Amino acid sequence: MSVFIKHYKASHLLSASNVKFFRFSSTAADLPLKKEDDDEEFRVLDIVKKRQRQQRRLNKRTDIQPDRSDRMAIDQKWGNVWPGPKTFHPSSVPLPLRQGYVPKGQAPPGKKANAELMKIPNFLHLTPPVVKTQCEALKQFCTPWPELLNSEEAIEKHYPVEIISSNYCHASPSIRNPLSRVVSLRVKLSDLKLDKHARDKFLRIIGDRYDETTGLVTITADRCPAKKQNYDYVNYLLTACYFESFNVEDWEGEKTEDDMEYYDFDRNTSRKNLINWYLKSKNEVKSMSEEEYRDFDISQIDHAEVYKNAVSKIMNDGESDDTLRSYDEAVRKLLGLPQKAASS
Amino acid sequence: MLSRSWRHFYRRYSQSVTFRTTENSPSQHNENQTGLFYTMDKDLCKTLFSHGGFPRSFAKQTKTFTEAAVMVRRPALDVIDCIKASDLNKPAVRYLLYGENGTGKSLTMAHLLHYAFENGYLIIHVPWVSEWLRRLPRHKEMSNSATHEGMVDVPLDAAAWLFHFKTQNQAMLKSEELKISKDYVWSKRETTPAGAPLLALVEHGISRVKYACDVIDAIVKEVKLLSDSKVCKTFVAIDGFNCFFYPKTRLYTSTKRTVKPEEVTLTHSFLELTKNDWTNGVIVLTADQLAIPEDHAESFLPKYLLYKKGFEHIDPFVPIPVGRYTEKEFLSCASYYRDRLWLRGPAEIDTELKLASAANPYKFMELCAPL
Repeated sequence: MSVFIKHYKASHLLSASNVKFFRFSSTAADLPLKKEDDDEEFRVLDIVKKRQRQQRRLNKRTDIQPDRSDRMAIDQKWGNVWPGPKTFHPSSVPLPLRQGYVPKGQAPPGKKANAELMKIPNFLHLTPPVVKTQCEALKQFCTPWPELLNSEEAIEKHYPVEIISSNYCHASPSIRNPLSRVVSLRVKLSDLKLDKHARDKFLRIIGDRYDETTGLVTITADRCPAKKQNYDYVNYLLTACYFESFNVEDWEGEKTEDDMEYYDFDRNTSRKNLINWYLKSKNEVKSMSEEEYRDFDISQIDHAEVYKNAVSKIMNDGESDDTLRSYDEAVRKLLGLPQKAASS
Repeated sequence: MLSRSWRHFYRRYSQSVTFRTTENSPSQHNENQTGLFYTMDKDLCKTLFSHGGFPRSFAKQTKTFTEAAVMVRRPALDVIDCIKASDLNKPAVRYLLYGENGTGKSLTMAHLLHYAFENGYLIIHVPWVSEWLRRLPRHKEMSNSATHEGMVDVPLDAAAWLFHFKTQNQAMLKSEELKISKDYVWSKRETTPAGAPLLALVEHGISRVKYACDVIDAIVKEVKLLSDSKVCKTFVAIDGFNCFFYPKTRLYTSTKRTVKPEEVTLTHSFLELTKNDWTNGVIVLTADQLAIPEDHAESFLPKYLLYKKGFEHIDPFVPIPVGRYTEKEFLSCASYYRDRLWLRGPAEIDTELKLASAANPYKFMELCAPL
């Protein structure tokens, strides 16, 4: 170490390699012994160790290679560099990306050691040429699209039942995903051939599985462990509900007016009123039984159809200015009164 | 002094808008008079409306204005046109007036009553159904009906109504043609024989209050028969008709049980009257939000107020919407109020008042009161 000090004192121009050499060959322990031997000068107690601190110097690594992203060829195949989805890696992406909080007057942080870039999912594996090549590769397994199924309507017509299920692909020890067992069956209610009674009953059976706005019936099954089982089950459910809705039970005859889900003019008092009014206006008053009322043909009454529609509309769609106006017009027609003058 | 009276004269007679019509006969009213006020004769008001018929605020206003001026409005004209065009030999047509609060349903009815009175109809007018079923003065006279099992009578109200009926039809009831068809036995000593005038029946109900409800029932039946046999034509007007269909009344039996409207004998009679199984009649009804408690007054549309039951009872009826003032009607009303000094101040405030009242007749009248 003494040699080192001498050298140090003599010349400040020390090469990095020299320092390295001396540091490896000396120990801190033999420093005071050597000094004692040389000259008996007054030993200054160096508490702060100023000198030694000065000695410590960071060494610059000389063997750092240039970044990989800088060495990439311009015409390389990107699909080979980034074949699948993975977290962002700065050295693999030859793009001057910046991302993150922007301090005032500075540029956003660069791509190296940038957690922001690593956090967000990227689609660097799905560049258009890669997608194209993958599609090309898959083409050999595909069959041509049937020519007659050239429109949405045609597809809906020939394949009214839609089966919806999901497949999951992920990197984990198991390739199974519990969600892939769920199967949904979707069919338009109008595609099912139901009569009036059956439609009503079918809707009551399936409950909230029918969406009024779209007219779709969706049956979802997830109770069985395998997709195949659930698929069979939804098909079974549809079949069972369909045929059950055609059965007429004994107790269905006991359905009263209060149980009706819609207003049926032919079952209500208004129809009787209409018939009574008609008979009275023809001076043929007679008391009629329920059967006679039911069998009475209201089409012989002028404007009865319009009136019937207007009443049903008020009862089914709720009353509003529109429905009341149409009711007004219908009643005036029925009773032979002049229509209301257009309001000025 | 001269200048003041000059100003007075100027204010009174230089109105740019005509708001009055001299045509005081409702049967002559037509489209040309829409929005104009006509004045009802004082004696006529006394006969027709002395026991109710005008809304309270309007009755007060007639006193303030020293005249009963009613605006000729489209709904009334509409009904009058229909009545004129309809064949009275067909079953009675029912008209239902409906509209927001304060738009003038009752006044439209008053206008129609005037029309009926003028044209010699026998008038059966119920000024306010809630008066019977919902308004409870401290001593509401109630008794169990003797003739109808399990039903309730309101004899005092019934007698008051009979009096109202008698006042309205003084002239008609004097005629000898209105005879009753069968004997009515009230008690051992009291009977009204067949062939007696209808007036006798009414008088009996007024003098023997106990039987007033049964008398009304009898009158309803008799009137229907008389109309059917073309002896007279009848005009039925019931204000607040939807009160008959609200599931509760404010009446209590002696056991503190709430009475349902169908358990009141009067309800029964007047529902019988509003059926269309008789001819030679016109039936005008109103559906009013004020007739029933506020918990069922969210909408003023007829089916909501009448419930399905009431709707089916009067179906098929002609719905007559009574709306807010139109531009023309508002202008004429403002001029009328200015004429009566009900509204003063610069002409610019009219627009503001129109906006503030949303052209609702009642609100407009209220807003003008402090001006």
